[in-house]
Amino acid sequence: MVKIIIAVFTLTFFVWSDNAYERHCVSCHRELPTSLQRMFMYYLEIYSGEKSVKVALKRYMRNPFRDVSVMPELFLDTYGIKQPLKLDERELEEAIEIYWETYQVHGRLK
Amino acid sequence: MSVSKSRATNSLLRSERKSLIRFLQLYVGLVILLLIALAVIYYEAGKRFMLSEQRADLNQYAYIQTKRLKALHHYFDERVTYPRDSRFRSAIFDNEYHEIFSLLKQPKINFKQEIYLKDRKIHFVETLDEFYLGTRYLVLEVDDDGVWSKLLWRNILAYGGVIWLFFMGLGIFLANRFVKPMRDSIMLLDRFIKDTTHELNTPLAAILANIEIMDLSTMQEKNRRKLERINAAAITVSLLYKDLTYLTLEQEHKNKDEWIDIVTLLEERMDYFRVLSLSRELSCQTDLERAVIYMDQRKLIRVVDNLLSNAIKYNKRNGTVGIILRQGSLTIWDTGIGIKEEQKEMMFDRYMRFEESEGGFGVGLSIVKNITDEYRIKIEVVSKLKEGTRITLLW
Repeated sequence: MVKIIIAVFTLTFFVWSDNAYERHCVSCHRELPTSLQRMFMYYLEIYSGEKSVKVALKRYMRNPFRDVSVMPELFLDTYGIKQPLKLDERELEEAIEIYWETYQVHGRLK
Repeated sequence: MSVSKSRATNSLLRSERKSLIRFLQLYVGLVILLLIALAVIYYEAGKRFMLSEQRADLNQYAYIQTKRLKALHHYFDERVTYPRDSRFRSAIFDNEYHEIFSLLKQPKINFKQEIYLKDRKIHFVETLDEFYLGTRYLVLEVDDDGVWSKLLWRNILAYGGVIWLFFMGLGIFLANRFVKPMRDSIMLLDRFIKDTTHELNTPLAAILANIEIMDLSTMQEKNRRKLERINAAAITVSLLYKDLTYLTLEQEHKNKDEWIDIVTLLEERMDYFRVLSLSRELSCQTDLERAVIYMDQRKLIRVVDNLLSNAIKYNKRNGTVGIILRQGSLTIWDTGIGIKEEQKEMMFDRYMRFEESEGGFGVGLSIVKNITDEYRIKIEVVSKLKEGTRITLLW
């Protein structure tokens, strides 16, 4: 009974958690060895600015291909390519926006 | 024919002086432009040389800073301290030119130039191939000590001065070549006048003296009229003689300035010109109030004689010559041929004559201008073609 309650609670938390980023990104990436922070740095290293990074993220979320991935070959060989995200436009943009705000470098350097 | 110089013969006509001044203005303007262009080219070349020397060091610093950014990129979140260096200040920008972090004192960056100088700060913009921390542009800044600039300015002033002197020397040489033909012709004319003036004196004095002693009462009316005409012509020549003598000899003499009663002087001169004005059947209107002036009497006579003789010579038959005298102003007007507006500017030029029907060399008004300038007397000319001229002296 307790397990059922915990399972329902967890499911409810993920489904009705605060934002799209938490709901659709964090849950899956918990299982990967490379953190979202490190992946963000890969994006920064290749796309540099906010607009470029966001456009690249959105494009990859919709059409995840190996040749456009920012991840190293070893990672891709091990974990493969993700499935295309089936999110509506608004939710995807919200998730990307939160992702940018969470890990962006601007204002964090001292 | 050889031509000698004198103070009298050195002067140029105003129109010729204008041409010379225009030539010199154009020449000096072009030389200044040339010097500025040379200075700018030299300065820019010097600046480029200084920046190319700085580029080598800054390139090395950029390489070091990129390595540091790479390390920070890989350990970001554990380390967030931006790498600093005492030799330079730096800033990083993303590919949208947004500042990621900056230590620069001069925040305005020109991303289109690799290296440049602004507000005594040298900026070096390095474009990275891998955007560590999102950095597309790494900007390094060092202070400019300005030593190169001082050195360049010193060289510009020294070399510029030498070039300026050279061109000014060349300009004076060219100007002399430019005015030589004009000056030669004026000197020839002056020399001719000077030589002939001496020859005029004796016969003229004889004519005037003999007319003076002739007994007019015993003469027939017809002969008396003829003699009056001879007398008027002799006075005209006498006036010309005095002008020429003044030009060639007397103006060199020292002034004997004194207070002159102008009314008395005018009456004397009017009496002198009476025969001349009668020969043209002119009437005279005078409005004289007591006035005095402090100047050389010989020069005042030259001024008055020339103005009066012009008023008579260029008047129409049965016309009027008027004289108005007030303290501080003398106006002589006539009802003569007048002059065109565009001729007014040149009417005081030497050898300038607008009316060839009357004799003379065109030196009278030049003498007037010469004397009035010397005594700071202002001349106002109002003239209407075929109606008359009014010349006012103000002192």
